[in-house]
Amino acid sequence: MTANPGLHVENIVKRFGSLTALDNVSASFRPGEIHAVLGENGAGKSTLMGILSGFVVPDSGSVKLDGEPVPVGRPFDCKRTGIEMIHQHFTLVSEFSIAENFAMSRLPGLVGASNVTERSQPSLAAAARLGWEMEPGRKVSSLSVGAQQRVEILKALGGNARVIIFDEPTAVLSPDEVSDLFRVLRQLRDDGHVVVLIAHKLSEVLSVADRVTVLRRGKWIASAPIADVTERTLAEWMVGELPAPLPKRMESNLKRGVMAVDVSVLGDRGETAVRNVNFQIQRGEILGLGGVDGNGQLELAEALVGIRKVIGSLLFESGAMDPAKARIAYVPQDRQHDGLAMGMSIEENLLITGHRKPELRSGPFLRFAKLHEWSKMLVKRFSVKANSPADRVAGLSGGNQQKVVVSRALDEQPDLLVVVNPTRGLDIRATEYVHSKILEARDGGAAVALFSTDLDEIYALADRVMFLSRGELIEDAGAESLFGAKV
Amino acid sequence: MNGFLRFGLMLAGLIVVLILTLAAFQLPIVDSVKLIFEGAFADKFAWSRSAVKMTPLLLTGLGMVIAWRAGVYNIGGEGQFVVGAIFGAAIGKALIGANATGMPGGSVLILGGCAVGGAIWAWFAGWLYVRRGVEVVISTILLNFIAIQLLGYAVSGPLQEQKRQVPQSDLLPESLMLARFDRQTDVHWGTVLAVVMAVLLTVFLYRTVMGYRLRLVGDNPKVARVNYIDPGKVQLSSMALSGAMCGLAGGVEYLGLVGQLGTTFPQQWGFLGIPVALLGGLNPMLTAGAAFFFGALFAGTENLARFTPAGTTIVYVIQATAVLAYVGLSGLKKVRPKPEEETESTPS
Repeated sequence: MTANPGLHVENIVKRFGSLTALDNVSASFRPGEIHAVLGENGAGKSTLMGILSGFVVPDSGSVKLDGEPVPVGRPFDCKRTGIEMIHQHFTLVSEFSIAENFAMSRLPGLVGASNVTERSQPSLAAAARLGWEMEPGRKVSSLSVGAQQRVEILKALGGNARVIIFDEPTAVLSPDEVSDLFRVLRQLRDDGHVVVLIAHKLSEVLSVADRVTVLRRGKWIASAPIADVTERTLAEWMVGELPAPLPKRMESNLKRGVMAVDVSVLGDRGETAVRNVNFQIQRGEILGLGGVDGNGQLELAEALVGIRKVIGSLLFESGAMDPAKARIAYVPQDRQHDGLAMGMSIEENLLITGHRKPELRSGPFLRFAKLHEWSKMLVKRFSVKANSPADRVAGLSGGNQQKVVVSRALDEQPDLLVVVNPTRGLDIRATEYVHSKILEARDGGAAVALFSTDLDEIYALADRVMFLSRGELIEDAGAESLFGAKV
Repeated sequence: MNGFLRFGLMLAGLIVVLILTLAAFQLPIVDSVKLIFEGAFADKFAWSRSAVKMTPLLLTGLGMVIAWRAGVYNIGGEGQFVVGAIFGAAIGKALIGANATGMPGGSVLILGGCAVGGAIWAWFAGWLYVRRGVEVVISTILLNFIAIQLLGYAVSGPLQEQKRQVPQSDLLPESLMLARFDRQTDVHWGTVLAVVMAVLLTVFLYRTVMGYRLRLVGDNPKVARVNYIDPGKVQLSSMALSGAMCGLAGGVEYLGLVGQLGTTFPQQWGFLGIPVALLGGLNPMLTAGAAFFFGALFAGTENLARFTPAGTTIVYVIQATAVLAYVGLSGLKKVRPKPEEETESTPS
């Protein structure tokens, strides 16, 4: 044993362009401890873990394992020193058998037969130790998600794993599987491994971790033994000061706005992505829809704007929602994939909504003079930083691209505004700007559905907040219940 | 302008390739270039040959532009060209049978039929793609073979000449053929029609709502869908238009030049439209320039072949290079990272 056992990160800084993902973060992960790293989306958890496992190169700072510097930026060497990561998205070859996947982690030399049986042995031994049944010959694609995760864990244990990092391992598991996973985490800890658990569910952290470190917006906030913290303190550490709820808006025009009654929406693979949700958004109101990505946000947003089929009834004003009648504005989450035609100019991207405006066309033709006038006006009004509307949209910064999407959506006062993570990746000034435009649309009488994974954003803007979890809507019952069920 | 610059650079590059190819064939470079140039531009006959070769290239090239701009990679220009001509020949036969060959507008009727034939052939591939998810690249290539078999059947069956000796259709009477400008040369009204089509397509793509939607769908179908434009519908019409243009090319070749269908009628104009459109950067006016370049190259290398052992193979080398250059360029564009966007995918 060296003088300083465990994994130590010191003064790590990592910037992506103008965004500081990690700002001088230090932490110590000791053997015989389950150490949870907690934070919201964008807090820097995954970046930190990426650095530990060698996939992300930090701008400055050092990582040491048992006193020895870790070869940062070299994933294979990190693996050799004994740092293993259990990714959220498994790194398995689904067409291979379990044994073949195990064998993959034991990197063979350039020569030598594949020796699957021999090389899969350490992982199978680990399975026996942990009390997991494994059929080595079975194809990974035939396994359930939970079983695939077990294969992933065993694959990591086949080497000389010293540190095992779990990246939100419970997101894909059923409650029974979660408790089994926790049993394994404890056993790994008792075997003397350094166990790192990335999480954002407070209840889970409290039930399994021995020590917790909280990150917020790339900054280290606190580290403490689990006995010293409560759900409340962790929540405050994660989001900062919990904002005071905004004064309730006047209840007027009760019948107006959007109403969803028993709405279900199917996902791309035919799964039920949103299940029997009920809500109402009045005009002049922002409904904040929070929750972790992939819990049905995208599907519900697309259903609201009418490009995904709704099961159940979606009403607008006094009739069924009809995208042709209501003025719907949509700011999709992924501006590059859903929001912009990257090969086209700014003007042509504005035209995505503008080509429907009667004053910009005459018969089948576009009225170019009017069109130039209009696009110049929008670029100016929304202060898009570009030399001319004829510039290619691909040449704009992310923030200015987002302004193009927002300006197009809010050119006319909409009846319904649906925005999904409107400020993801934007700097502070662009964020403020987009926020002010959303509030403007609300004050102009739009019913606004604000989907965001950023709690600060939701609490700053929304008049009412609900949360989406596995496709179901949960009423916001105050800050304590935000971060997972209280047992 | 960016597009013009790119076109100029590609052209210059292809001329370098031409010279290298000549060197590889061990031909005297200066003399060969001179022969090519004379074959393409020396006198009115040379100009006429260049223009005649350009005509079908331009029309099929424009056909490719329409489909590819909508993000549908139509490789079936050849089949659409052939089926268009079969439709035209059927109408021609009917007109001959009805003794109506002198009827005014007869050639327009035949050309219209050709466009419809090509449109149907392409629409089918479009339908398979939009409604059934069959890759257009695959279906159009296969439909090319079917079209060529169909031609073989037609000219030895229902459309065969009345003498029934050779597998070919009857020669159309002069009254149905497209008028020529000069009795000594082959250049015909089809060339004018092709250039007019390039202008019309420019207006359509850049000045109309439909053209805008087509380009939008081609650039990002998801954005179109999110904004209530059905990409499938747009792609389906673009395929039909594309096929119509290729069918028209078949018609122009039929009515302008050969006057009858036989098994040698397909001269790969449908395939050659692809490098033409790519060299033109999928822009109709530049495609016209590219079609003229390749047309002149055909005329020129034919002249070269008359005096040297080299054949028109050189053209195909140049064309293949153009396609490879385009593919390489688009590959480069994809690989080059966009510095601005790296911040977006910041892991949380």
